[in-house]
Amino acid sequence: MNPAAHTVAMLLADARLPSGGHAFSAGVEPAVQGGLAREDIGAFLRGRARTTTLVDAATAVVARRAGLIGAPYAPIERAWAARTPSRAARTASIDLGRGLLRLAQRLWPQSPAIAALTVGGAASPPRPIVLGAVAAHAGLDAETLVRVAVYDDMAGGVAALLKLEPGDPVDGVRLVLDACAAVDPLISQLAALDSPEAIPAASAPQAEAWTETHALSNRRLFRA
Amino acid sequence: MPDSPTAPRALRLGVAGPVGTGKSSLIATVCRALATELRLGVITNDIYTDEDARFLRSAGVLDPDRIRAVETGACPHTAIRDDITTNLLAAEDLERDFAPLDVVLIESGGDNLTATFSPALVDAQIFVLDVAGGGDVARKGGPGIGRADLLVVNKTDLAPYVGVDVAQMVADAEAARDGRAVLALSRTDAASVAALRAWVLTILASHRAGTHIAQDPGPMAPHFHADEEHPEGGFTHSHDEDHAHAHAGAGSHANE
Repeated sequence: MNPAAHTVAMLLADARLPSGGHAFSAGVEPAVQGGLAREDIGAFLRGRARTTTLVDAATAVVARRAGLIGAPYAPIERAWAARTPSRAARTASIDLGRGLLRLAQRLWPQSPAIAALTVGGAASPPRPIVLGAVAAHAGLDAETLVRVAVYDDMAGGVAALLKLEPGDPVDGVRLVLDACAAVDPLISQLAALDSPEAIPAASAPQAEAWTETHALSNRRLFRA
Repeated sequence: MPDSPTAPRALRLGVAGPVGTGKSSLIATVCRALATELRLGVITNDIYTDEDARFLRSAGVLDPDRIRAVETGACPHTAIRDDITTNLLAAEDLERDFAPLDVVLIESGGDNLTATFSPALVDAQIFVLDVAGGGDVARKGGPGIGRADLLVVNKTDLAPYVGVDVAQMVADAEAARDGRAVLALSRTDAASVAALRAWVLTILASHRAGTHIAQDPGPMAPHFHADEEHPEGGFTHSHDEDHAHAHAGAGSHANE
């Protein structure tokens, strides 16, 4: 990767990036409201990293490839939606995607990979597709993209946890390290994916049910 | 959809201020006073989801579809100042769904005295205090009090019950604002509501004429430190950083 691509990778992993991410908890508030005990948060995050987060990371990898070769994103979005059965989770991802897309369009108005996301006036795709297109434009390699996707989700969840159930922030850092490590053995395999059908279909039914319930709650701090 | 010079986008008007000072109620008052002559939309920023949006919808002052809530992830300050993405998307959605709109009112989540809107989000902003919060709040200053486009001293009808001298509070506010507009408001005082309505119409006219420029009230207004070692005077300074240092009694951090 060239130096600029490394910088973009760090930007994408930075919670301060102005793309609206601070209003999301990566499923942590739904889980806590659903009754998940504090001591089970680590297992929850590792489970998320290896299921729904992994679907998103794989989707981003395939979208990156499409962005590089000019292939359509729509089949990838359909494959992602089929693997993301919770409507609330899909809506949250599309909202996050809009925020990132808005930023990307302002930063890189001439990028074909980013412009293709809304070709023909299409609505904004979910976050992993936008992330993949940004990676294609900025020159992130696929392994870095997987790491960014997983890290962002885990760090976002832990940041939300510190607001929901405050504890020692150092424990939160350990949670992020452990959850990201749970995906490390799979990174090269994920980075090699090259078609929508190859995106793993790993779901997390309990977490998805919590996300659905949370979306109907009117006492919540986070969007999802 | 290209903007033509004769049809600028809607005026985006922010309403900020501490918790419980009457921001939602002020927005309802503006809607009641102007909904028949202007095309309005409202965005609320809540700590807890859509409480304020539901209040405004139930007030019956505007088509419920024109009132949208955004969630702030427990950071109402961030959502109106540091990362305004979600609010910008909501404003663009409203302006698209109900085109053309004249004014989009954006209510901040009730935060603290230092929370103000980014000029990248709103064209003008109202900062709301109320008499029940104490007559000395206006004197203490802060970016919103000092430099919002309009400072409202709300709930003046409560002044006799909370022992506040409204005229003194307004005079303190005017002194803190170097002559910028201050309005003593009560929704039960028709003359004050008429003055609020007139102010909104004036700002809208200057927005349309292209003569109004969005101002950032800033993270902290310049303020005075007494210096006991130099009784002949203290010093006035301003803060460039977005954190308030300890001022005796100055910051009311209701949330965050």
